[in-house]
Amino acid sequence: MSRATVDRLVLAGFILLSVLLYLSTDSYPGIAQKTSAKYVRFLAVCLGGLSLVQLGISLLRDGREDRLSLTEHLPRFLGLIAALVAFGLSFKKLGFFIPAAVFIPLVAIMLGQRNPVLITLTTIGLLAFVYLIFIALLGVTLPGPRF
Amino acid sequence: MEYLSVVFTLPALLTILIGTFAGVVVGGMPGLTATMAVGLLVPFTYTMDPTLGLMLLGGIYCGAMYGGSIPAILLNTPGTPAAVATAIEGYPMSRRGEGGLALKTSVVASFTGGTFSVFILLLFAPLLARQALNFGPAETFLLAIMGLAGIISIADENTSLIKALLSGILGMIIAVVGTDDMSGSLRYTAGLVELIDGVDFMPALIGLFSMIQMLELAGQRDHAPIDTSALGGARKRAKLPKGIGKFMALGSGTGTVIGILPGEGATIAAFISYNFAKQVSKAKAMFGKGNPEGVAAAEAGNNGCVGGSLVPTITLGIPGNSVAAALMGAFIIHGMIPGPELFTIYADRTYPFILSMFVANVTFLIIGLAFAPYLARIALIPPSVMVPVVCAFAVLGSYALNQSVFDIYLMIAFAVFGLLLKKLGFSLEGLILGLILGPIAEGGFSQGMIIGKGSPTIFFQSEIAKVMWLIILVLLLPPLVSHIRRLRGTKAR
Amino acid sequence: MIRKLIAAGLAGTMLVGTAAFAADYPDQAVTIIVPSKAGGSTDTTARIFAEVAESKYEGFEFVINNMGGSGGQKGFEAIARAEADGYTIGMNFTPQMVAHVVSGRADYTLDSFHIMGNVAQDAGIVAVPKDSAIQSMAGLAEAAKGGDLTVSVNGIGSDDFLAAKAFEKQAGVTFNLLPTKGSTEQKAGILGGHVDAAFMNLSQMIAQHNAGDARIIAILTEARDASADQIPTAKEQGFEVYMSATRGFVAPAGIDAGIQSKLDAMLADVLADPAFKKKTAASKIALLPMSGPDYTAYLQQLQAETQEVYDAAPW
Repeated sequence: MSRATVDRLVLAGFILLSVLLYLSTDSYPGIAQKTSAKYVRFLAVCLGGLSLVQLGISLLRDGREDRLSLTEHLPRFLGLIAALVAFGLSFKKLGFFIPAAVFIPLVAIMLGQRNPVLITLTTIGLLAFVYLIFIALLGVTLPGPRF
Repeated sequence: MEYLSVVFTLPALLTILIGTFAGVVVGGMPGLTATMAVGLLVPFTYTMDPTLGLMLLGGIYCGAMYGGSIPAILLNTPGTPAAVATAIEGYPMSRRGEGGLALKTSVVASFTGGTFSVFILLLFAPLLARQALNFGPAETFLLAIMGLAGIISIADENTSLIKALLSGILGMIIAVVGTDDMSGSLRYTAGLVELIDGVDFMPALIGLFSMIQMLELAGQRDHAPIDTSALGGARKRAKLPKGIGKFMALGSGTGTVIGILPGEGATIAAFISYNFAKQVSKAKAMFGKGNPEGVAAAEAGNNGCVGGSLVPTITLGIPGNSVAAALMGAFIIHGMIPGPELFTIYADRTYPFILSMFVANVTFLIIGLAFAPYLARIALIPPSVMVPVVCAFAVLGSYALNQSVFDIYLMIAFAVFGLLLKKLGFSLEGLILGLILGPIAEGGFSQGMIIGKGSPTIFFQSEIAKVMWLIILVLLLPPLVSHIRRLRGTKAR
Repeated sequence: MIRKLIAAGLAGTMLVGTAAFAADYPDQAVTIIVPSKAGGSTDTTARIFAEVAESKYEGFEFVINNMGGSGGQKGFEAIARAEADGYTIGMNFTPQMVAHVVSGRADYTLDSFHIMGNVAQDAGIVAVPKDSAIQSMAGLAEAAKGGDLTVSVNGIGSDDFLAAKAFEKQAGVTFNLLPTKGSTEQKAGILGGHVDAAFMNLSQMIAQHNAGDARIIAILTEARDASADQIPTAKEQGFEVYMSATRGFVAPAGIDAGIQSKLDAMLADVLADPAFKKKTAASKIALLPMSGPDYTAYLQQLQAETQEVYDAAPW
């Protein structure tokens, strides 16, 4: 998709959001009508109004049809997001240390790092650092098995 | 004088040193905040000598405020929201190979701001605290508006004014999610317990800055090398640019004043100082492209909040921000209830504590100056190592703040959606500013409306309010005029 | 779907794997969920308890898990949903805990918990700016006649809010009620003269009262407080308004009876410990020990009373 198209889609989304937001303020109870509702309506009007203006400008100025690319290297980009989501999913059950010990080498290799010593040292160094700061010093409770 | 001798004993100096160093580390890691570190260590100080315990926490506070600037400059991943303004100028400097200079500027500015504010705390605390009391909800609202005015100055060639404003408003709308303080009802939480308290700005900060930076690094076809030629020079004594002292002084004053006022001061202070600096600077065009003056003002500004925020905390028991609130917990644990007693019965603990913050400032100055050339080399670490490490910290940091796995997903979502917005020319700085200041603005507005019995005249009534409107106008008009001029210019062409 | 299956599978194995028996309890650390941020009064209470309990009971280790915000609801939900294996207990504070139930916002009910007992209380107070013309509760009622007396409370459904509502009902007045984000904003409002009065807690304002920066006109308990006995009660002034925040321990319902009685006995034992008393006194925490059954009855009654207020004027 071209940059201008995505831009217009996002702006249209903002306009829709602003309308929904404005309408939703009717249901604010009691005291909030005089206070929060006014604030939120103001935000909604600003968002909608500015989006309309920007959309108008964008439509008038016919967009140069340059493609919107989020990234130059799609496999790596998507790979990193997938790895992050997997990290998040395993966090609850396995805690930080076990997923991190898998995640760091994996991502490093995915990004083209081929030096095993460097990867190992980085992984161990990070785990030790986190252990020292989070567990030993601050006593933050992390989920998963305790060490 | 006798209080000085309490500070200059070996245990005391060692405690301050450890505290400051730990603070720099905590501030430098995305997701670890000074609030969290102080809050978690307050119980730890139970068993310590009260004076030493307070010195430890004071050191952490001073160190953390400075520490946030290090990754902001080197990796474009601000460790604290107060360092976002620093990243705007610091990171481009780092890309130019001037990371060492940026770090040096930031540490000297932090030191200046921090020391100045502690001086004010030491000499004028009771007097200033009385003045700060005149600051009510209506004025708090105006202060948030003043911070939000910074959005206008963020807009430049890459971000149109409208898109910068849209970003800020979007941030404020995201901040609306959660409990409505006025009615206690839940707004737009979609039945998720995690959203009852709203969207925390920390996962957003990590997602929008650290994570996007990593996604971009990972997605680069070939890695644009950093200009390393200047790094060699950085190890030799890179001189601070001339005339930068003016910006440090500006930031120190602004930061201290805003720190004394209620609300989360540091972020507002950094942005307002940055904004002031941009107005005053002769090199306006350099802003956004790596101007050390911006780093100096922003860092002096947020560190100025440290001493400032303690002014109302120890004199009246009204903490100036969340770190000061956690610190107040430490005072109370040791039976030192904030108020006049701190300066009479407990003077032998309070004054050494205040004096110890001077030492803390000197400590991080030395740490910063000594390590800056080495730290600057962090920017040379290959992305294949940097990306997984920063990602791991990002995940951990997002989780740690509220101990919520939901925040990890939130962080990833902010990164992906934020990247899209960034590519479309929206301003992520504006978004985060809106997200942080939105609740402060809303609270001030709603409370002001109630106190004013539904009439908005309350926002224009007091003398302070009138002065603040004047400052807001001064902040807004010049950038607006130059924007319009530029718009005309492009049309004419 | 797959995620749910995996989660269910894992949970299943966990149940079999760690089924707790009173005999070898505890074989890991016990988590105390504190539904407020680190450094506050509830948090301090939990941490002092953990410290004293660890020193008295060999083999016990406690981990504090702060889940602040949203008037404690996040934390209360977490305690209610925690696995009932004796390795997670938590703190509660009133009246927020029951107020969330009454207002229909909570997924938990009182039955979701085993109530272990109460530890401390913080009496409700009414404070006014130091140069205010309001000297007494009668003065407050008189000043509120016009309906535009601005009175701040700490959030909707909080103890302050309920106390203010109770006073409104008794005095037949309506305040211009100002909900704030916390006691800090309330203090700033009173000291700066931005509000006319505030319903707060004793521990939040006593230092300012003693320093002459603010004036407490009434304490909302049956009898005067020992540590501040110059402050008259509301009852003495002819208004039967009672409110105090309590802070106690709860556990998720359904813990093995052997383990639960161990924990309950430990709480009672620690509360009676001189070291615990000394430490809490230094932190200005007013102890009010109540046994599990007593505290359960207290909570049930409080819920019924709160329900009445809610039915009359929902928030």
